[in-house]
Amino acid sequence: MKKRLYLELENCIGCRSCLAACTQCGGHEERNRNYVYDVNPLVNRQTMPLMCLHCENPACARSCPAQAIQIHESGAVLSALVEKCIGCQNCTIACPYGIPKFDTEQNLMYKCDLCIDRTKDGIPPMCASVCPSNTLQWLTDEEIENKKKQFNLDNGKWVTSMPYLEGETNVKVNLPGILQGITKLY
Amino acid sequence: MQAKASVNQKTGNTLNNAFASHFAKSMFLSVTALAILSFIGTRMFTHVDLNLYGYMVGTIVFLGGFFYRFIAWGERPPTKIILKKGLKLLFRKSTPKTSVEHLATYNFIWNRGIYRWTQHVLIGWGCILSCFVTFPLVFGWMYFTMDDNGHYNIIALGMQVMTVPADGIIANLSYNALNITAVMVIAGVCMALYRRLKNMQARAEQKFLYDFMPLYMLLLVSITGLALTFMNIFLHGAGQPAMSLIHQWSVIITLIYLPFGKLAHIPFRPMSVLARNYREHYAEQAMKECKVCGDQYVSSEQSQDVVDVLGVNDIQFKTKEGHHLAEMCLPCRRKYRIAQFSGFPTHEVKVKEANQNAKG
Repeated sequence: MKKRLYLELENCIGCRSCLAACTQCGGHEERNRNYVYDVNPLVNRQTMPLMCLHCENPACARSCPAQAIQIHESGAVLSALVEKCIGCQNCTIACPYGIPKFDTEQNLMYKCDLCIDRTKDGIPPMCASVCPSNTLQWLTDEEIENKKKQFNLDNGKWVTSMPYLEGETNVKVNLPGILQGITKLY
Repeated sequence: MQAKASVNQKTGNTLNNAFASHFAKSMFLSVTALAILSFIGTRMFTHVDLNLYGYMVGTIVFLGGFFYRFIAWGERPPTKIILKKGLKLLFRKSTPKTSVEHLATYNFIWNRGIYRWTQHVLIGWGCILSCFVTFPLVFGWMYFTMDDNGHYNIIALGMQVMTVPADGIIANLSYNALNITAVMVIAGVCMALYRRLKNMQARAEQKFLYDFMPLYMLLLVSITGLALTFMNIFLHGAGQPAMSLIHQWSVIITLIYLPFGKLAHIPFRPMSVLARNYREHYAEQAMKECKVCGDQYVSSEQSQDVVDVLGVNDIQFKTKEGHHLAEMCLPCRRKYRIAQFSGFPTHEVKVKEANQNAKG
């Protein structure tokens, strides 16, 4: 059963468990590859996570001169192949969400690979498995479809991905109801 | 279509017009160069080592695959830009230093871990040194003669460069060069195999054809090579003819496979020097300022090149404000995305992004 990472952004409580969990994934070498942002840092405590959304037409891979960024059969856009990455940093410039990180010492780009060692076997990625507030979930397409119905899509306020993103992505994003003035029941 | 192609060709130079394709041109020039070098090296083909003709044919087949793979790769828009601009900047002052660090001492792999560096130096230099010995022997660029009993003349490109005693250090190093490199490669490959069996990330991503096959091939080449020495010294040559064929087969298969698998990074890696030069040079020229916060985050040239490359791929990241997403620095680009979700312009709040590095 194919599952996807699914984000309900407004659930985020800013605990940064996903960052800490990311460092512990095999091969991540104790460095996290995701982000948590304060939405309005001087006014309130609302935070939102930002991770690689695994585009269906990834700009990072398109702009890579070395073909170092491969796409896994599950749709995950993998971190650069270490022997191929030439350290030009085109991917960091190309990514519409600013996700790839670059290590100048190792001359190597690294980015979220959706914990491919786990997700290829159907185990949720580290971030989703630790998230205490259900911001990051690991769901089947059917479950995501049910979410859509549950949140009454007809009012046009609940939308996954487009048009708030730049293209179709494998990770599905639920836009925050709270900030749009919609009360959501969990 | 053909008429259009011929019109385009007229604008090129005359050398390119002589060939049907890049591939034909590269193949013709390299085979000609090999033939001329062999002609000179073997003193007009009088010292060809016909024992090694199989390797010669294998090398030429390898060149076919090599040019096929790399010309196709060089046509990709981002690759073309780095190759073109990088080659123009080849004679920067920093090139020798960068080249040594990237291609000889592998400093960046040292920073990835001492284990990986050791394994890479053993495999890498084992292979490079072997190539320095074998290719000159195959094409006759280097051979040995003996005038006085007990003294070898080393002939390089048809010129006698030195005469060494047959039992001296240099002579012994020459006899055993491939044995030494074989031991280096075997040690390195065993380290690499061990890592592939233990490391979780490697285990998740590795594929037999891509990751294991080259290692097994290198192992086969080295072991059969060492077996030849073993048979010569301890078995008085028994089994040597059969083993030399097995060795030859393994080398040729490895060569032909090289452009299409993991080992393709060997001929391909010098591009990291071009990329470094490209970044350094254009960073000195002009830096791009982030459209939101004004920070300088990359050279203007690279920013524009990435926008162009994405354009070729039909990816237009135009923002409502009218600029391209690639014209924003990374933190601003992330905050801008958060702003698209929340409706609040996070990227316009003049607060540095919170620490995003969890310490595992």
